[in-house]
Amino acid sequence: MFSRIGYALRETWASFRRNLTLTAAAVLTSAVSLLLVGTTFLIQRAFENLLVQWRGDVEMIVFVRSDASAEQVALVDSVLRASPTIIDVDNLRYLNKAESYEEAKRIFAGDPVTLSLLTPENIPTQFKVVPLSDDPLLVRSLSDQYRTLPGVEAVALAEDEFQVISTLSNFIRVVTLVMSLVLLVVAIGLIWNTIRTAMFARRREIEVMKLVGATNWFIRIPFMLEGLLQGLLGGVVSCGGLWVLNSAWTNGVAGFKPGTGISSLIVPNSYLTSVMLILLAIGALVGAVGSAIAATRFLDV
Amino acid sequence: MIRLENVTKIYGTETVAVRDASFDIPKSQFVFLVGPSGSGKSTLLRLINRQEQPERGDVWVAGRNINELPASRVPYLRRNMGNVFQDYKLLLNKTVFENVAFALEVIGKPRHVIERQVPMVLDLVGLADKQERFPEQLSGGEQQRVSIARAFVNRPLIMLADEPTGNLDPTTSEGIMSLLDEINQTGTTVVMATHDHRVVNAMRRRVIQLDRGVIVRDQERGVYE
Repeated sequence: MFSRIGYALRETWASFRRNLTLTAAAVLTSAVSLLLVGTTFLIQRAFENLLVQWRGDVEMIVFVRSDASAEQVALVDSVLRASPTIIDVDNLRYLNKAESYEEAKRIFAGDPVTLSLLTPENIPTQFKVVPLSDDPLLVRSLSDQYRTLPGVEAVALAEDEFQVISTLSNFIRVVTLVMSLVLLVVAIGLIWNTIRTAMFARRREIEVMKLVGATNWFIRIPFMLEGLLQGLLGGVVSCGGLWVLNSAWTNGVAGFKPGTGISSLIVPNSYLTSVMLILLAIGALVGAVGSAIAATRFLDV
Repeated sequence: MIRLENVTKIYGTETVAVRDASFDIPKSQFVFLVGPSGSGKSTLLRLINRQEQPERGDVWVAGRNINELPASRVPYLRRNMGNVFQDYKLLLNKTVFENVAFALEVIGKPRHVIERQVPMVLDLVGLADKQERFPEQLSGGEQQRVSIARAFVNRPLIMLADEPTGNLDPTTSEGIMSLLDEINQTGTTVVMATHDHRVVNAMRRRVIQLDRGVIVRDQERGVYE
């Protein structure tokens, strides 16, 4: 058993060096495509920070002052429920102070100054309103009415804030996803071709191996390891690229004035780490798939 | 040891390589397959090690119908067979020792077995002093000895040789034949395809003659004709 593992590793390494140019091409292509996949994840996450308060078709938020009494909150609630034809009452949600604070932590992730001014005590609570009506004027006139209620601090409309960004984020998501999928397929193809070339270069050896009774798996495994290694290396390179990209972005965002919304477009390090792990996994998978197809297809040399 | 029952092999749709061939080769026999190029000798060898499968008929090796063997078991069948070819099929980037060791390595034999068996078999074929040479530094006869060593190192039950003397001069061929004879003496069944008259006539062993895929003669202690 030990000699078999040693054999597989030696052969993998030798073949890796022999096809250096093709290997480099395969590794770089998978790196670029994986980088794009990673960027998609990060952009998505950044926009989500920005849009988190508008999730689930929420188009109006009624902020209630942190010092409002329970009666005042109840009053706002009953007024909102008084227009069941315009407001989707079933989807009306009230976020208490703790919940609002949790949400604020994400919105102000890149704006620690603002965040430090907020505490679970002084934060406004909020009603998330999903309108039934498509008529923006109707919703707007309702919002003017709610603004005058006692205890209400402010009323925000999605239309004024992030409608454009929301649309933009969907568009960017689709474009980057399609591009990265295409590139991933290209990466599989390149790895497939590299492995095919490696097998062709060693067809004599493979022929002898088959004649002396080596099992197909024994012959295949070094080639599959080689492909796996290529994909994994692509993953490592893309992780490096993603780190550089994210650092530059975070630094750039820090230059914006706090409270402009741009500051929430940063991604926490824990999320970056998990994206990197995903990239390594996808890289390994791409390599394994590409080389497995080649190794199965071209074993009959 | 090897039995063919009414075996027919067709390449493509109409090229009949072997037609209705039947024979029985007992253990430890030495058999020549003779006939002109394209008469089906190589195809018979390829049917025995299951590089090919017949359209009709059965091939039995060591009591098993190898056409019914699942593909995953074929490598284990081949571990009982040594193969020798006209063009040696040596790996040029490996030394003599490594070429022979390769055959054991790829079937997962441990290092200490390899280090014991390889020098032993190289001694048997008379190349004990050339273990570290590369194939291109050897004569044709010596290269064929390496390939025989590689085929025999695993002590197979059967040795299949396809024109092993085809590229060699008469004196060198004699040496190769006496080596194959020696291997046969150890109890290994040897099947050799050849159109080398001298070799067949000198050995006086069983001869199976083919003509355009059909067995036209099967004779004990035969000559080439």
